[in-house]
Amino acid sequence: MSDQPVGPLQVDLDPSGVLVVHGDIDVAGGPTLEASVRSRENGSPVVLDLGDVDFIDSSGLRTLLAVSQRASARGTKVCLRNVGSAVQRILDITGTAGQFELESSAG
Amino acid sequence: MNHDGPPRSAAAVGRGPVEIHLPADPELVSVMRLAASGMAATARCTVDEIDDIKLAVSEVLLVLIEHAASTSLTLRLELRDSVLSIEGCAETSSADLDHPDLALSQTVLAEVSATNSIDLVDSELRISATVRLDRTHAS
Repeated sequence: MSDQPVGPLQVDLDPSGVLVVHGDIDVAGGPTLEASVRSRENGSPVVLDLGDVDFIDSSGLRTLLAVSQRASARGTKVCLRNVGSAVQRILDITGTAGQFELESSAG
Repeated sequence: MNHDGPPRSAAAVGRGPVEIHLPADPELVSVMRLAASGMAATARCTVDEIDDIKLAVSEVLLVLIEHAASTSLTLRLELRDSVLSIEGCAETSSADLDHPDLALSQTVLAEVSATNSIDLVDSELRISATVRLDRTHAS
């Protein structure tokens, strides 16, 4: 079981422009993630580090899919970095992994 | 995880039901996930089963919060015969059972639960899921 405390989702911007997500992406955390991503949508590819995400449900997935659709409309992609088992599982269940570029570690 | 608790057969004895009335507050969904996980843990379920329970509870509450558009809802948990039953309901006047977002929730529920249903009964949106706690996992 994770040592990550239960609490609101947090999104940090690292020096390379990667959005580092901490917490659960659910009906509560999704809007926070959505707002953070929107503030960074400037034509560059969106990179989300999900290494500290231990839970995601279908509402969280919808947030990621919406980010992906907007990126596609701009001709860019969304990269999901450090995808853990919870995120990978919901991508597998819903067959939506192909909507994203998956990266195992920082390059 | 502590494995010094009661024997796994506690799931067969039964626990609950526990009925929780709560506001339709998204911030409380993680609290309910923890409550259900804790209840299931008394039956010494596996980590995979806990993951399924967390997803099932989250989808049940998500459906009620997003589609019932009610200010309050009810969650009912019961552990019996190696099955955790998760039932939720909320008053509604606007639920659309054909909404595409519901299909995504149903896809997830179908994967993590043995049975699930979403029904509109009179003016109440009802959703239920059962998660088995006696499965054998390949890993």
